[in-house]
Amino acid sequence: MRGYRCPNCQFVTATWSLACPRCGAARLGEIDLSGRGRVVAHTVQNVPGDEFLNEAPYAYVIVELEEGGRITGWMPTVRREEDLAIGDHVRFSGSYKPGVQFVKDEPRAE
Amino acid sequence: MRETWVVAAASNRYGKMKESGREAATRVAWEAIERSGLAPKDIGYTFVSNAFGVAERQAHVGPLINTSLGIPDVPSCTIESACSSSSAGLHEAFVHVAGGFADAALVVGVEKLSHLDTLAATSYFAMGADYAFETKNGATFPGLYATLADAYQHAFRTQPEMFGSIAIKNHANAALNPHAQFRKPISLDVYLNSPVIASPLRLYDCCPFSDGAAAVVVAAREFVRTPKTEPLVIRASARSGSIGDMHDRPDLLGLPATRTASQKAFRQAKMEPKDIDFLEVHDCFTIAEALALEDLGFYPRGTAARESLEGSTALHGRLPVNPSGGLKAKGHPVSATGAGQVVEIFEQFNGLAGARAVPKTDTALAHNVGATGSSCSVHIFSRR
Repeated sequence: MRGYRCPNCQFVTATWSLACPRCGAARLGEIDLSGRGRVVAHTVQNVPGDEFLNEAPYAYVIVELEEGGRITGWMPTVRREEDLAIGDHVRFSGSYKPGVQFVKDEPRAE
Repeated sequence: MRETWVVAAASNRYGKMKESGREAATRVAWEAIERSGLAPKDIGYTFVSNAFGVAERQAHVGPLINTSLGIPDVPSCTIESACSSSSAGLHEAFVHVAGGFADAALVVGVEKLSHLDTLAATSYFAMGADYAFETKNGATFPGLYATLADAYQHAFRTQPEMFGSIAIKNHANAALNPHAQFRKPISLDVYLNSPVIASPLRLYDCCPFSDGAAAVVVAAREFVRTPKTEPLVIRASARSGSIGDMHDRPDLLGLPATRTASQKAFRQAKMEPKDIDFLEVHDCFTIAEALALEDLGFYPRGTAARESLEGSTALHGRLPVNPSGGLKAKGHPVSATGAGQVVEIFEQFNGLAGARAVPKTDTALAHNVGATGSSCSVHIFSRR
């Protein structure tokens, strides 16, 4: 999983960018992301867009990664609001079909 | 920079238009020009907004509108900023007129999507998001605002009734608005029993798909001299931007572009929130109204939804918010919404709001954002 880190202010993101959106310093550097993180916000969606037509209901999640930045993704096994909570540990499943897919993870020893 | 006024505004009824976007836009523009007492030939520039015009297989609609107004030689351009398209158009019109590049300018926004099915309309709306980094990873447009609601209710332990009170208030106001898509009040029961679209947002937390058109005529004070209407003095016209994707922003509790745009606007107007009598804010979802009131500086973070439940923002409350019914109940024809907010303020100032009239109409603020808030317009108006 690829991400970007600013050599000036250490801002981390998975969103393509040329310059750092936080400090404006030129040229983010590429880094590898572990794909592990914790849920910052989630929603279970019942009315999908066309690329996720057959998947609803599913969760769309905002994940804060171990590396410090945030990424979005979807979770096919989270089909009810109460199935997931802010703070839960998740990890990238390895699948990009149809988009970045997360599954629940065990908490790791800090 | 010279003093610049809104001299007229007009809209049609939001909902389902039989006519095309281009026809609807021409008609509301004509009505606004007539109301202003100016002639079409007084218009120096036309700023059109029609973000999803391609849904009608139509781009570059400005010249078509000017032609059908009888002013084909007047320049036009299309201003797009998703849901803040026509307030961005208003900003451009203000800059042109205040800066002396035109004596009067026309702003017109229009959207027509009712001929599409829900899936197609959903897909068009989703174009406001970041396709590669939000939509492709499963986000729908309600889903994006739902994550803001999730974060907010987690941080501030809100109750569903608080967000329900925003929907209930806006439907009650819209019931008094001939331009509104929805003309019936709703109860808390109806709100709580409506289906979940993207948790925690229910159907009644979400604005509808709407057709609609609205137009505003802007003119320099020295050009108008004896106005036909009570003009709105434009005391501030501010735009701001923020990090595009909400998940890359420092936090999810608010929209940074609203904060910076409103700070600019209050500075321009030499005013503070306490000077504002009523406001039209961007309530695409109930969470958006709560966040807007906090980001604009009217309530401390985490308290706006509770204030709404207590009635502070009702028509006759301490701070009337969205007397028109807002995006939620008046409707949200994306590109017309910004101009439509000015229609409400114009009608309130001119005693045309009927049963919707708010107690004090000396100053008003209009707040309009694009998509998930990475673009924002804040305008402040007052009487002469």
